[in-house]
Amino acid sequence: MADLVRIRNFCVIAHVDHGKTTLSDRLLETTGTVPLREMREQLLDSMELEREHGITIKARAVRMAWRDHELNLIDTPGHVDFTYEVSRSLAACEGAVLLVDASQGIEAQTLANAYLAVEQGLEVIPVINKIDLPNIDLDVVREELRTTLGFREDEILLASGKTGAGVEELLDAIVERVPAPTGDPDAPLRALIFDSHYDAYKGVVAHIRVVDGALAAGDRIRLMATERESDLLELGVFVPDARPIERLVTGEVGYVATGLKAVADCRVGDTLTLASRPAAEPLPGYRPAKPMVFAGFYPSNAEDYPELKDALEKLRLNDASLLYEPETSQALGFGFRAGFLGLLHLEIVQERLEREYDVGLIATSPSVEYRVITQKGAEVAIDNPALLPDPGTIVEIREPWMKVTIIVPTTHVGPVMEVAQNKRASLLDMSYVDPTRAMLKYEMPLSELIVDFYDQLKSRSQGYASLDYEFAEYRAADLVRLDILVSGSLVDALSIITHRDRAQLSGRVLVSKLRGLIPKQMFDVRIQAAIGGKVIASETVKAKRKDVLAKCYGGDITRKRKLLEKQKEGKKRMKMVGSVEIPQEAFLAVLRIGDET
Amino acid sequence: MTRGIGLYVHIPFCASRCPYCDFATAPARTTLRVAYLEALREEIAREGRALGRPRIRTLYVGGGTPSLLDPSEIELLAGALREAFDVRPREATIEVNPATLDRVRLDAWLALGITRMSLGAQSFDARGLRALGRTHQPQDSTAALVAARDAGLDTNLDLIFGWPGQTVADWQRDLEMAVALAPDHVSCYPLELRLDPEASVANWPGGGWPVLERWRQRTAAAQPDDAGVARLYRLAEGVLARSGYRHYEIANWARPRKRSLHNLGYWRDRDWLGVGAGAHTHLGGVRSANPVELRTYIAHARSGSARSADLESDPRAEAAMLALRLDTGLDLRRYRIRFGDEAVTRVRFALAEVSRARLVRWSGDRASLTARGRLLASEVFVRLLP
Repeated sequence: MADLVRIRNFCVIAHVDHGKTTLSDRLLETTGTVPLREMREQLLDSMELEREHGITIKARAVRMAWRDHELNLIDTPGHVDFTYEVSRSLAACEGAVLLVDASQGIEAQTLANAYLAVEQGLEVIPVINKIDLPNIDLDVVREELRTTLGFREDEILLASGKTGAGVEELLDAIVERVPAPTGDPDAPLRALIFDSHYDAYKGVVAHIRVVDGALAAGDRIRLMATERESDLLELGVFVPDARPIERLVTGEVGYVATGLKAVADCRVGDTLTLASRPAAEPLPGYRPAKPMVFAGFYPSNAEDYPELKDALEKLRLNDASLLYEPETSQALGFGFRAGFLGLLHLEIVQERLEREYDVGLIATSPSVEYRVITQKGAEVAIDNPALLPDPGTIVEIREPWMKVTIIVPTTHVGPVMEVAQNKRASLLDMSYVDPTRAMLKYEMPLSELIVDFYDQLKSRSQGYASLDYEFAEYRAADLVRLDILVSGSLVDALSIITHRDRAQLSGRVLVSKLRGLIPKQMFDVRIQAAIGGKVIASETVKAKRKDVLAKCYGGDITRKRKLLEKQKEGKKRMKMVGSVEIPQEAFLAVLRIGDET
Repeated sequence: MTRGIGLYVHIPFCASRCPYCDFATAPARTTLRVAYLEALREEIAREGRALGRPRIRTLYVGGGTPSLLDPSEIELLAGALREAFDVRPREATIEVNPATLDRVRLDAWLALGITRMSLGAQSFDARGLRALGRTHQPQDSTAALVAARDAGLDTNLDLIFGWPGQTVADWQRDLEMAVALAPDHVSCYPLELRLDPEASVANWPGGGWPVLERWRQRTAAAQPDDAGVARLYRLAEGVLARSGYRHYEIANWARPRKRSLHNLGYWRDRDWLGVGAGAHTHLGGVRSANPVELRTYIAHARSGSARSADLESDPRAEAAMLALRLDTGLDLRRYRIRFGDEAVTRVRFALAEVSRARLVRWSGDRASLTARGRLLASEVFVRLLP
């Protein structure tokens, strides 16, 4: 237990691949928290998926000792979908290390998070990382840090996570510059939950920062927003493995095994207090999870519905931002409508369902939540295009708009602006973060942002553009529903809501994409796009002409059967809609409309 | 077993490997040749004893290239067969590669009692033979067929269509050439190239044959598309029907009373024993197979270890699929006697959709493939799997 004035709580803000994990590992090593021989590569990232996506989803805090101080490194999620989680991690700190890759410069999202840290009153320590790389121009990066965030030359540190250069100086700067926590040790307990995860043995584990008061092993705890109470099972700190302790006091960071069964009961941003002596007011800033992107999840095989339900329930244990409810589609049968923080969140959930839970999944195209004003004056939220009311009853449809920040090399500004224009974006501002890189600020509809915008941005800027976005407001728009008919029947799961001006083109492109994605069947399959019952585009998948294993291999029936079994497996991954087999990719065809528009 | 069984004997040796072939094959001069033939004779003797010296109703010596065997090797094989089995076949076929069969060898086979020769002509077009990587010449096939008929044998011609560059006119000429030679039986196979690894295929791409893999990739890319191959198949149906051949199985045509009895045994789900590398067996309702790889086969045959059974075999599905390959189709009354009411219900259910799509036609309780159904047979069969 440390004296309040000897505690330093900080996080590291960095873009993917700018070396956060390597530097964090180096901090653990230099402080002797983890002896060198026990160092595992990239210690803080634990989940396989996180490594593949190059991001850290689940924050953790690690305690270190440096020059008689207790340093708590609080990890932050690194993706735009998790802005709220980032803000709660920041709220648990007094300081932030802003890590910028010497060869890459500052990225849009890093900048957004750095602004967030400044707004929350954190002491930000700028560090230029990877100084061991050849052909780098430190002056350019220094200028970026000056122009964008107003740092002075002498505030900027240089480091290399790879060689360990500058790491001791950084630790010293953290001790010197980051303020000690403030808080009232005698007040009723108020601890900020900045992360939580589900542990199969310990139930929900909350990562907390004690703001006021203290918490002891065996206390009965209360969560102020969800109003849950529980006897805590274990109290501890990560060093970096979990080590149980007796007490956590004001200013400290640690974990609590809450004894709760679902992370939804123990939400990020909530305030943890004592049941015996509850705080009067929770800490500010709590916000329930707000899904922005929605998609239908259906089992490829109707009989797998219980498995999908079970898998979603298990995922939800560990992901409070994942919301879902049962949904029925005429085309796809029984499934779920799920809400996500963003497109990446959706992809992660989808991959985990398929990879960890082995559920064959049909995911429909992602949709945003529209607000429909009806003639009766009601406002209806619609997150599934198929449920859009009869156009005759609609006065107005509103869609969510986002504030978007893009940082891009000046050489690629033209193509990037073109991409944005195609996405109905309006330019608010353009400035320069340094002589070679521009910062573009746009407003654009979220529905355009989630359809392939990021990929196009990356490809048109040769991978150099970076992106950050946040919700702005709902705005009225001239929107229509585009329906897809396969062999004359409407496939509700393929309907999209689109801007009227673009509906014709989208219809044609979508139909042509579907023709390429739906395999040949035993008969001709007609694919049509329609608006309000009027067909605007039509194509045909011609019938399959030959599919036969003719050769008689000396009575080798086994081999024929195995080849047929493979074929049957392929069929299983498709969804029977009427008498047409539609593969999973077809339901995401709308994501590829952008390739041709 | 009173009616006898079919016997398949596999001779894997080939003068050169045909790059599209998926059978167990080995170079003609392999050092394993003597050991292989010894092992084969041991297997024949052991199986004959185990089965109580059954009658061989049909015999089929396939390969590989059985016609490459020397007269002394044929005599030893014949001796082993007679010793182990009651060899009184209604039909005995050898597969022959054009340009490999000389008079002395033919006499040796005739002494064994063969009645039928299946000739791997593949094409009468020099470009076709080149495209298929074959080493013989068109005239070799003609000579071999005439020699076989002169020796009093029934004849079959194997043809392959759908090779790169083949036009409808090319195929028409091949078919007319075949018909002009008046064989008793014709097999026409579309060129099917497996590109993905399969354990049961000895020489699949990726299995250490980069040249073969490249050939298959290149050839597959240059083949006519499915619609083109379908057109060629329809052409064969027309030409052969007009010449008096009955299209009795998906890839097989025959003059009256000249259907391949041995192969009919496969399709009618009868009992047969297969000996040699990669040979398949179906006895007492159980399917099993020998190892494909030569050394493994020899070791197994010597040590007397059993063929490995196909544990995933599903007799109900297989019997239905095999019957549907024939023009006589699947007779559900007979099927009910063998497998019961529930199996019949399953088959009817499985065939409902393909019947609506006109791939299968019904005449009373008998289902058979339509012309389209023969081209899309996999769509039908895949539905019969459990």
